[in-house]
Amino acid sequence: MCNNIDVIISNMAAPVSGMGEAPAERLPINSTSFQKKTRSKLVSIPGTRPSVQNGQLLVSTGVTSLDYLLGGGLAVGTVLLIEEDRYDSYSRMILKYFLAEGVVCRHELFVATAQDNPDDILQELPAPILDDVAVPKAVEQPRLTGEPQDSLDAMKIAWRYQHLPKVQSALASSSRFGHYYDVSKTMEAEIRQAAKCHRFCLPDHVTPSSTAHRLESYSALLKSLQEVIHREGFDLAAPMSKSRNILRVGLHSLGSALWGDDLCCHDKPRHRHALTTFLYGLRALLRSSLSVAVVTLPSHLIQDRALMGSITRLCDNAIALESFKGSERETNPLYKDYHGLLYVRQVPHLNCLASQLPDHKDLAFKLKRKQFSIEPYKYLGAFGCEEARRRSKRKQL
Amino acid sequence: MLSELLQGIETGGLLIIQDSCSYSGRDLLRSFIAAALNREEEVHVLCFDVSEDELTDGLKPPATQRLHVHNAYPDPLGWTDHPAFAVQQFRLEDLTDLVKQASQPKPATLVIDSLSWVLRHAAPPAVCRTLQQLRKGGAVRAVVALLHADMHQRGTVGSVCHLASSLVAVAPGPKGNEAVAKITKRSKSGKVAQDEETFCITEDLTVAVLSRPSSLPEAKPNGSEEEQADPTANLTFNLRLSESELEAKQKLTLPFVFSKEKKTALLHPGPGSGRILYEPDANDDYDQEDPDDDLDV
Repeated sequence: MCNNIDVIISNMAAPVSGMGEAPAERLPINSTSFQKKTRSKLVSIPGTRPSVQNGQLLVSTGVTSLDYLLGGGLAVGTVLLIEEDRYDSYSRMILKYFLAEGVVCRHELFVATAQDNPDDILQELPAPILDDVAVPKAVEQPRLTGEPQDSLDAMKIAWRYQHLPKVQSALASSSRFGHYYDVSKTMEAEIRQAAKCHRFCLPDHVTPSSTAHRLESYSALLKSLQEVIHREGFDLAAPMSKSRNILRVGLHSLGSALWGDDLCCHDKPRHRHALTTFLYGLRALLRSSLSVAVVTLPSHLIQDRALMGSITRLCDNAIALESFKGSERETNPLYKDYHGLLYVRQVPHLNCLASQLPDHKDLAFKLKRKQFSIEPYKYLGAFGCEEARRRSKRKQL
Repeated sequence: MLSELLQGIETGGLLIIQDSCSYSGRDLLRSFIAAALNREEEVHVLCFDVSEDELTDGLKPPATQRLHVHNAYPDPLGWTDHPAFAVQQFRLEDLTDLVKQASQPKPATLVIDSLSWVLRHAAPPAVCRTLQQLRKGGAVRAVVALLHADMHQRGTVGSVCHLASSLVAVAPGPKGNEAVAKITKRSKSGKVAQDEETFCITEDLTVAVLSRPSSLPEAKPNGSEEEQADPTANLTFNLRLSESELEAKQKLTLPFVFSKEKKTALLHPGPGSGRILYEPDANDDYDQEDPDDDLDV
């Protein structure tokens, strides 16, 4: 705790964040309270900001490290494809972060599932950690009864710095654009019900008939989405009269067998064009409206790699998650700090010639209680940190 | 974990036993049937692979009153005029009618032997949809199915197992009648538990779990803290503190230790981040309108 004193002193103008318990990590803070005066004619929508690279309007995905990887955030009008991990635990978590961020920023939501009810996903949204300066926490006296390590909340020597947050080692943008969520708690019902949410549950919309040759599920979904966009005024063609808002679209597990196509079932599927046509139509719909979509896909079931390649090309941003659960990597000591690996498959170049790829190609993620952190995976060699240092020192001699 | 699964599957659960030609999972399936019957549950069995006698061999009479076998073995594709059950009837409406006809109020457990037969003759997406609807609907409490993994493409097996809430993959064990089961259990909240056990099945269809292999991954975050090297070990001088020394160290008052009230006052200064404490001194009495302020009167 006391080894970050220099950094903390330089950030003394930060707002104090009071939290109920002693977390292991704290929030990153603004370096200054300086606000730039903008003279742009852009309509300012809450929860968005213009990109510093190409001026696109960005929204946060809910995961700050992911925002950093995607170049600051998700551009409005684009699609993020998440290739699911084997048991769909972490991809579902990122979808929930995305929807929770929409609730906190007061955007509207559209959730479509084939397997579960959309309400199941909505009820599992993580609770946001809200800064509350007006709630000071009483300082605890450090315990004298033989406890070797003081709790983080009661520093004996550097007690002036108790309430200041620690420096983050994970990737993060410098400004406070996204929010943080506590995974162990679910979002309270009042906050969740304040957000307007449109649901699409496949069994309600499509009555399965065995004689149907063409797939109706994707076209029904596209029609429903188009109708919502038009009715609620997210179209860019609509007159810019009242305040605009963003529609966040979350599509869970597209391409799985429950949507009716056999992409995941056969090596040479018959319905290869159903999902690709849908993604093409989805992207066209999003480009002409103020919406952003996150699509999860069980890519580990799709055997045709060429099809997977064309699906990736049809989405703007694409990441793939590989969790260590169940694989032989789980017991590998090199990976003991992380829950899985993350691959950035594609980053878009919108209105520019070249895209901003992340610096590090080897990324690993870890789901902590208050943060989903994505870090460059530090490969320490076969012997670990100490041995490597000793060996390099010997070489220097 | 195998014994927990035998004691009961949660409502709305789908258990898939995945086997191959090197070890048949049918005995394990029959022990699941026996366990469900012993728990006083209604069990409906769709029998495709083997004959009814072979499947119910070893099940005792008082329990078999609650067992309803829909025998599709003689005529699975409905070539005769009156099949008992045909593959085409593997649909939500027909299965719900079948289960409700037994006219018991409690929801039943549906056992399918085997799902591979159905997957050969019906489209996998339709089978997946039927299984999902069976889980959500009220007529059937839980579904247990046997799947021969080497009979289908990897994508088909993967899609069906993706739906499962529990998956037991059996393989031949080290000794003759033993087998190894790899169990994966997924909960609604996304947590996944995995286990690997060796078991064997006795004559009266009870499962004896023999041993747990030692290669269990323990990915607990607390464990990593203990594995860090202890810097106070292997030194020529003593860096550790005894209990009395620790107490004395904590009792020591540090030079800039303030009282609790002063600490809280300094930590929570109020709306302004800095307070300027100013006591006006004599020079501040200067009054602009009275130029004779410097006269000492």
